Amino acid sequence: MYRPVASREVRYADLDLWPFRIKAGMWAWILHRVTGLVIVFYLVLHILVISSVLWGPGTFDATMDALRRPVFAAGELMLVGAGLYHGLNGIRIILFDLGVGIRQQKAFFAGVLALSVVGFAWAAKVFWPLIFG
Amino acid sequence: MAKLDIERIRLKVYRFDPETDREARIDTHDVPYVDGMTVLDALFHVLEKIDGSLAFRFSCREGICGACAMFINGSYRLACETQVARVLREGHRELHVMPLPHLPVIKDLVVDMTRFWQNYEAIAPWIVTRTADPEKERLQSPAQRKLIDEYVGCILCGSCFSSCPSVWTGREYLGPNAMMKTYRWVVDSRDDAAVERLGRAGNEKGAWRCHTIFNCTEACPKKINQTSAIQGLKRRTVAAMLRGAR
Ligand code: SF4
Ligand code: FES
Repeated sequence: MYRPVASREVRYADLDLWPFRIKAGMWAWILHRVTGLVIVFYLVLHILVISSVLWGPGTFDATMDALRRPVFAAGELMLVGAGLYHGLNGIRIILFDLGVGIRQQKAFFAGVLALSVVGFAWAAKVFWPLIFG
Repeated sequence: MAKLDIERIRLKVYRFDPETDREARIDTHDVPYVDGMTVLDALFHVLEKIDGSLAFRFSCREGICGACAMFINGSYRLACETQVARVLREGHRELHVMPLPHLPVIKDLVVDMTRFWQNYEAIAPWIVTRTADPEKERLQSPAQRKLIDEYVGCILCGSCFSSCPSVWTGREYLGPNAMMKTYRWVVDSRDDAAVERLGRAGNEKGAWRCHTIFNCTEACPKKINQTSAIQGLKRRTVAAMLRGAR
């Protein structure tokens, strides 16, 4: 069994180690995790909202009306952004599993970011009247 | 390299002795700058002229033993290969020298690499053959040798192991180095144990623990792409399972 000689480790958060230069691959991974959590959070919310139909059509309609507010539209726009990035980076990872582009991972990450931004800008245009109109 | 017009360089170095210290501290030294000096030279100046109790590892002083891997100004580097001028040219004004992160500190810049070595041993990093020994040697074609070219360049410095988030969060994970070395033997035309090697690597303590974060690739002083090797292991594991080899 492995037993460390000493128990203390230097961690990135330690003074003077910061800033640890987080590079492309790790950003991609962090963003993937964060957007994944956003999507899971939405999924739970979505199931809760939809299950309001169990209490009859009236409750369902009332819930839906309550959600027709700018703040929820803004949330949905965020969801579109998260979904875009998560999906596109998911393709990037699948390509790695197929052996494609492993040595070009930074360029692929740049591509994922660029496509996400373009998609998000388009979605923002669609959502604009719902949020501010 | 263009000459640097400085007399001294400020060196901040991590100090911790678990036997006497309760907290780690950062020592600051102003070290005379000599053209072409390396970070290891700066550490030697401290050791010889200022504070003989500073502990750090080194051996070859030419980037081939892997003993002097440290965390220098936010990046993994070999102290003996890293010129002070180069660090300064990156925009840093001082040298910050830390032990390899996420490994237990034995003293100052010396870390406990036990887990790294145990994991390396666990993958049987030696040739396994099933045929009688040839009279002279086991030959390889240049094309066969090319498959392992990149990976035999590893100097076992431990930087990749120290940099990997999957290692930090998974005490069981064998780590990028052991996985890369497994791949190195799997694709070696002289080795006959590929099936066993894949069996050992194709689980959540092995290749599947890799989330393609590429920190190891960024950290490696020998510019080895461990992720590429690990992805190769994943592909081969799946292919072997589809063929029903396990
Ligand atoms: S693969 Fe690179 S970083 Fe990892 S131990 Fe070998 S030389 Fe060091
Ligand atoms: S002293 Fe051997 S690699 Fe630096």
